[in-house]
Amino acid sequence: MPLSHELKDRITKDYFLRYATKRAALMPALWMAQQEHGWLSRETVEEVAELLDMHPTDVAAVASFYVMFNHRPVGKKIVEVCENPSCVINGATETLHRICERLGIPAGAHHGGATTADGEFTVRPTECVAACDKAPVIQVNSRYYGPVPPDKVDEFLADMEKFNVEGLPAANDLEGRAKHLRREVR
Amino acid sequence: MAQTPGQPIQPAQPQRGPGLPVPWEPVLSAAVGRPNSRDIDDYISRGGYDALKKALETMTPQDVTKVVADSKLVGRGGAGFPTGVKWGGTARNPAPRYLVVNADESEPGTFGNRYAIDADPHMLLDGMIICCYAVDIQQGHIYIRGENLHGFEVLEAAITQAYQKGILGPSVMGKEGFGVDIYVTRGAGAYICGEETALMESLEGRRAQPRIRPPFPIEVGGGLFGRPTVVNNVETLMNVPHIVERGAEWFAGIGNPACPGPKLYTISGSVNKPGMYELPMGVSLRDLIYKYAGGMQRDQKVKAVSPGALACQILPGDNLDIPMDTATLTRPPYFIPPFGPVGFGAGGIVVYGEEVDMVQIITNIAGFFARESCGKCVPCREGTHWMLDMLRRIASGAGRPKDLEVLRDVATNIAGRKTLCALGDFAVNPVGSGLRLFWDEFEAHVTKSSPARLLEPAAAG
Repeated sequence: MPLSHELKDRITKDYFLRYATKRAALMPALWMAQQEHGWLSRETVEEVAELLDMHPTDVAAVASFYVMFNHRPVGKKIVEVCENPSCVINGATETLHRICERLGIPAGAHHGGATTADGEFTVRPTECVAACDKAPVIQVNSRYYGPVPPDKVDEFLADMEKFNVEGLPAANDLEGRAKHLRREVR
Repeated sequence: MAQTPGQPIQPAQPQRGPGLPVPWEPVLSAAVGRPNSRDIDDYISRGGYDALKKALETMTPQDVTKVVADSKLVGRGGAGFPTGVKWGGTARNPAPRYLVVNADESEPGTFGNRYAIDADPHMLLDGMIICCYAVDIQQGHIYIRGENLHGFEVLEAAITQAYQKGILGPSVMGKEGFGVDIYVTRGAGAYICGEETALMESLEGRRAQPRIRPPFPIEVGGGLFGRPTVVNNVETLMNVPHIVERGAEWFAGIGNPACPGPKLYTISGSVNKPGMYELPMGVSLRDLIYKYAGGMQRDQKVKAVSPGALACQILPGDNLDIPMDTATLTRPPYFIPPFGPVGFGAGGIVVYGEEVDMVQIITNIAGFFARESCGKCVPCREGTHWMLDMLRRIASGAGRPKDLEVLRDVATNIAGRKTLCALGDFAVNPVGSGLRLFWDEFEAHVTKSSPARLLEPAAAG
């Protein structure tokens, strides 16, 4: 399936103006392409290359450097469990194992992952996602969920939204702090 | 403020101690927890963009650079370079120049930028525009890590609002001849993008591999698109409006005089209340763990600490009175040859309790650096995998008596700036210091190894 005209328009009319070179629009272009198709097929890579006046091999070389770009079809929900020390100390390894066990897939590698037969979930370990206070933390389609210790895995799989901590501080009931906020200017 | 769901965030209230102004009031994280704090009107109602106005109306660009230099603000990303010097140096090089904001924040254990951007994106824009004024820059780029999709959306919304108010665009706040555009670019999952030259490679649409220096980013040929470029961390720039508003003296009087100012400490690991705590630079490790982070889980003893997240050398848990700041942790006695400074990084502290198996943790850390090595320089690309192989063997109980010596040798040989960027040194910091501190633990692992286990596949690290 070719890339949409809207995408091409946004790249040429907006992103080309942002950067001094055409190829600098590559990261945004790959992101938009992945949003449209879920992953970057060879066909998509070739189209992006044409759009940016690059060689397809050059585009593929860049795309393959970054682990968030998918080079094969993935599940609707990409579940990524952090496996760095702060999360591991709090049980992340066991959490990942249990999620894979419940979904009936092997624990995939960092840069790949395993997908359920129904195409619903792709599960993989990930590097620190900068939410160590929610350890063990999980990202589902780049949104933050946590903490999900091993004994909460079933609860998490039943109702993920209960664990959503996206934008938590501002959404929380924290009025106690609001009153002394006006900056004292001397 | 411990950010545990459902619990109100408590402002950090340090006790009387050397170097701490009392009472302490959060500056950078003041809006954390405030409803609608991301909105431009809310920011303005709190006195936001007053600093920018003051700079534009009453100060020359040189005045702004001078006040930032006088404040002794040093970069919060880890290298600790004086911000005023960087700005002044860039301004002396020919236009056009760029401002690049490093919001990649991928060091495991560090998460201050994420909360800061989420709560107060306009404070960052405020600081960015002031920097653009001081260095005469027309275009700023924020590079944010791909995983922080929410932060990206928050920044995009904030930028749109700033354009609507005339704070960004062809004439900032109506100032003739001073226009600034700011764009956000998303990374896509690469730790190396936190390194400034790799970040710029990525911004230019390439594989994120560090560049050879010199030329440095502030020089022609070294920066973004080959132009002189200021690369600053999010937290560094967020300090700027406060410095301009309250003066260099106020800032220089906070915390450790060698690297003053407020700091967004993030603490995690075996502590009860992991979270972000804004405190003056130089608060002690003991205070951080016991006064703010709620003490240790299950009342364990502190076994070890990674003071500035994983890239730093591991510190033993027996001295908790060390001030946690850039100046202290990069100078003797915290400069340990051949590995160099212990390092403070961006202030992400990971605490290991006595229940933690340090051999497993160091293996885990080595796995991170092996996977995240960009592959450009041989010592790092090859060495990190050698170290990981040996550590996995040791951790899985199949270690050979010779392994420890070889491991130490490999670590020592990667150390000492043998790579283009600091990542090679980062990778050996935890391994080298870990071997020094926990040699007995490693030896016990090797001694317990049985030849039979050599036949089993090594467990994942």
